[in-house]
Amino acid sequence: MTDPPTVSPTRPQGLAFLELGERLRQRGQLEAAAMVATAGLAHYPALADAHDLLGRIRADQGEDAGAIAAWHAALECDQGHVGALKGLAFVAFRARDFSAAERYLELAVGESPHDPSLLAALDRVRATQPAATPDAAPALADLSSGLLLFDAQGMRLTGGVGPGTSADTADAASAEGAGLAREASRVTRLLGLGEWQYLLVEGTEFRFAVLPIADGATLLVSRPGTTPSGRLLAMASRAGIAARHWLERLT
Amino acid sequence: MRVLEPWVTDPLVEFVRESSARVALVMTSSGQVIAQHGFTRSLDVMAAAALGAGILATTSELARLMEHGGDFGAVVHQGDREGVWLGGFDTPRGRWIALAVFGRESSIGLVRLFFDRFAAQVSAAAPPPVAVREVLAEGFERELDQSLRALFGGT
Amino acid sequence: MSLERWQQILREITGVPGVRGALIVSAEDGLVVAESAMEHVATSDVAALAAALVVRARQTAHVAHGAPPRSVHLAASGGVLLAMAGPDPLWLVALADSRAELGRLRVLLGDFAVSLA
Repeated sequence: MTDPPTVSPTRPQGLAFLELGERLRQRGQLEAAAMVATAGLAHYPALADAHDLLGRIRADQGEDAGAIAAWHAALECDQGHVGALKGLAFVAFRARDFSAAERYLELAVGESPHDPSLLAALDRVRATQPAATPDAAPALADLSSGLLLFDAQGMRLTGGVGPGTSADTADAASAEGAGLAREASRVTRLLGLGEWQYLLVEGTEFRFAVLPIADGATLLVSRPGTTPSGRLLAMASRAGIAARHWLERLT
Repeated sequence: MRVLEPWVTDPLVEFVRESSARVALVMTSSGQVIAQHGFTRSLDVMAAAALGAGILATTSELARLMEHGGDFGAVVHQGDREGVWLGGFDTPRGRWIALAVFGRESSIGLVRLFFDRFAAQVSAAAPPPVAVREVLAEGFERELDQSLRALFGGT
Repeated sequence: MSLERWQQILREITGVPGVRGALIVSAEDGLVVAESAMEHVATSDVAALAAALVVRARQTAHVAHGAPPRSVHLAASGGVLLAMAGPDPLWLVALADSRAELGRLRVLLGDFAVSLA
């Protein structure tokens, strides 16, 4: 039997508290680990690793809401924090929200494309998803969903542009997205291309699809650059159905 | 927006909306103002109309000297933040000129595209020409005042 | 790269079945830089509208992701417009009908767009 680690929750010595808290967590001493992490955060509130540690402890304690809050805090400090993205994917998977789990894992893979554990986890989630959630409605109301619904005037109806992004970003994207949708409509009209069906915009690190829904409302579906284009369009199509239902319930 | 010829209104509204022009001025080739959007002072309108007509007349003469076989159609000045489009077009009422000031929210290509549509729409909407009345010197100032009132709502 | 090489690229793109035309546009001013023949549509109109779409897509991408796009793909019931970023401010644009092999066209445009420099 090994000696228990020395716990000094009020005075974390530099960043050593991260290692100490993790060792306590792995030993199942969750209360002590939480004290260490919380005390460390008091000194280093902008340290993403510290929020990540607290997220793992809360997840072990079965406090998913606390874990999610901690991991979101980690992403606010570091938008591409792989640990936080993995953690959020884990909690989503445990809640059988496979599409969210996939989304977080895709983001994590985008940050760390050669991590075999991430790739294996992504494969597992994708293998699980089709059978488990054929009719699952995407989480439109979630800012981190990567699903953004807005009206013709550029006012956000619901959703956001992805993990670690704010409501302000979602509002700004809605305003710009409405202009983009108007432009798409104008281009197809003036070039005689008929009704526009979707717009696919791809960058190095991201790609998003924009599609008209109903009554001037538009859906923007945003994913990491690692998501294949065809898969994004398939997801966008499914999310479009959910968005139409959401709008019908609204009216 | 102020318009002397009502049938110019719809094409001009569409041109301004689609091209995102900040300022627009329609005039005859002699500089008589037909419609304006975005100007706040009558003095600016009259000066811009006179200068615009003069610039196009100059470039037409330049084209003739260079044996270009017609005029250049349009003149564009592109600045850092704004550009000016000046283009001539034929209508049943004679040759007219449109001047548009556009910012970074638009482009030369978009202004050109919607200018072409505007010119076609104006030509199609124009009623048959009416006999030109002789403008007497004593009536000229009164007519000018009437035009300015129509373009600026009494200012 | 020479204008002759650009024309060759545009000819190769328009050789893909279903492609109605291709052009190189300046996204900054919406003007044609080089073009291939296009059926029933003025290339200058395509350039102006494609550039306007690219600028809007760039603004949206900047707000949502803080980075510029490399490609813009507009699909409609009667055809598609594809635009791939070349050296700033040039974009390689193709207009195709619905029966075009989109996957192949996207790859081809992507390869050619980076070689415009």
